Amino acid sequence: MERETHAVSRRSALKFLGAAGGTLALAHWTHAERATAPSPDDAKPLETFTGPAANPHWNSIGPYVAEPQKAPLILLTDRPVQLETPRHYFRTAFTPNEAFYVRWHLAEIPNAVDLTEWKLRIEGNVNKPLAFSLTDLLQKFKPASVAAVNQCSGNSRSRLQPRVPGGQWGNGAMGNALWTGVRLRELLDAAGVKSGSLQVQFEGLDTGAGPKGFGSSRFQKSLDLANPVVDETVVAYLMNGEALPMLNGFPVRLVVPGYFATYWTKSLSWIRVLDTPDDNFWMKTAYRIPDTPRGTTTPEDLKAGKVKTIPIERMPVRSFLVSPDGSSKIPAGLGVTLSGIAFSGYGKVVKVDVSDDGGSHWHAAELGEDHGPYSFRGWQTSWTPKTPGKYVIATRATDEKGNVQPDEPVWNAGGYLWNRIEKQELVAGSANGGGR
Amino acid sequence: MIAKRWKIGLLLIGTATLLAGGMLYAQLRSGSYGSRNAVSIPQQPVPEFSADGKYDAGAYPSFTPELAPGDGKVEVQSFCATCHSTRYIIMQPPLPGATWDAEVTKMIKVYGAPIPEATAKRITAYLQEHYAPENRKE
Repeated sequence: MERETHAVSRRSALKFLGAAGGTLALAHWTHAERATAPSPDDAKPLETFTGPAANPHWNSIGPYVAEPQKAPLILLTDRPVQLETPRHYFRTAFTPNEAFYVRWHLAEIPNAVDLTEWKLRIEGNVNKPLAFSLTDLLQKFKPASVAAVNQCSGNSRSRLQPRVPGGQWGNGAMGNALWTGVRLRELLDAAGVKSGSLQVQFEGLDTGAGPKGFGSSRFQKSLDLANPVVDETVVAYLMNGEALPMLNGFPVRLVVPGYFATYWTKSLSWIRVLDTPDDNFWMKTAYRIPDTPRGTTTPEDLKAGKVKTIPIERMPVRSFLVSPDGSSKIPAGLGVTLSGIAFSGYGKVVKVDVSDDGGSHWHAAELGEDHGPYSFRGWQTSWTPKTPGKYVIATRATDEKGNVQPDEPVWNAGGYLWNRIEKQELVAGSANGGGR
Repeated sequence: MIAKRWKIGLLLIGTATLLAGGMLYAQLRSGSYGSRNAVSIPQQPVPEFSADGKYDAGAYPSFTPELAPGDGKVEVQSFCATCHSTRYIIMQPPLPGATWDAEVTKMIKVYGAPIPEATAKRITAYLQEHYAPENRKE
């Protein structure tokens, strides 16, 4: 018995010595690694600009700023205000109002609205021009609600190669809310659209310092009256069950489900029925896309004058990994939840595929609750990095019309319609004991 | 024999102590705070409201960026800032000279910016000299 113990002890002693050597070596190695790889506390701050290569980050790179009625958001510009929503706010299918991104075109944006004075006017080619107070909108019409994604046409513009001028958004120029208000059709019917009318134009309280007749003085957008989206459009006075923040369009904004945000006029105050096509700058010149598949073209074709353009409308299908976001290392063998959101302006998301090898192999994720065809749809899947190393998570959404997110880039002069498959590198570390 | 065992014992204790220290060092690092200042954003006070019909969010804050020093900076600050803050410039990626030229032309022709021709040339030259891929610093 005693002998055996000793024998074991001696063997243990040898093992111990081996281990000691190993540990010292490990300590040395760790030390050496510390000398070469910077630890987080002496890491460099984020760069102050990106380019001419693509922005490699999920969000844009501006500082966090505090604006009225808002949580700290990422600054693009201060006048007019453009703010991006940080990635972590997309953990839920509905984006909190205080975190919802902001994008205005003209600098004279409302700071205050007096609701004893304010009216929503329906005018132009109508039988009876009308003006409604907020109380009128609340009392005279039945409320209608829709969950819908609001996404800037230039969301992810900083991904384009070559880069194009404009708001250098990362992926956070989007948000989803439950919008409640009055159906646009009911307002139009109340005023009586005259026959021969073609379009309906929207304008908010924002104005700019530019000369009259230029896009730098007024921002106006129009929809064809024959467009079926007019029947789905809502003049919203509630956003996720709250009054709209001033920066998101208090007291009412237009909600055009499935369409890019350029049509979602903020602080909407004029609805004008037109009997001629709207040829103002924001329809005729701005917010136009190449009339090609995916709205993509090349700088060469553009220069050669080969690009015919049409107004931007619906949002192509997209999906995002929200968590984990790559800011932490994952112990190998630990089962974590990959989760995110997906949406399409063409209808309900029916499938989200996830890959951990950059898009070579895919498997279907579990979809979250269906809040309607124009809402964010959550998705999740459990995932275990079996061995230490680098993994590239890719996500690919499919909508009910059969549109599938492609892995090819988009390029157009406006920097619109980016919907390439997103990729996120995740690092799994060793979690084995015994210094291995 | 016994003395030898003692020696081995002592050696083991010594090794174990070294080992424990080494392993602790390898397993965690603590109490490191670095010299970098924590980034901070002051909290916003809740405004006092009255029950009238005025809904006031207050003034929007300004974030005036440092533009690169050089000829034309003053013109950029006065003319470009008529319609938008100069953050619009530093937000852009480095843009080729021809793109800056097109941007300034667009501001004048498309947006109607009243900029005299000579000033426009100075503005374009400034942007090309400080915000192009070959020369942009921050």
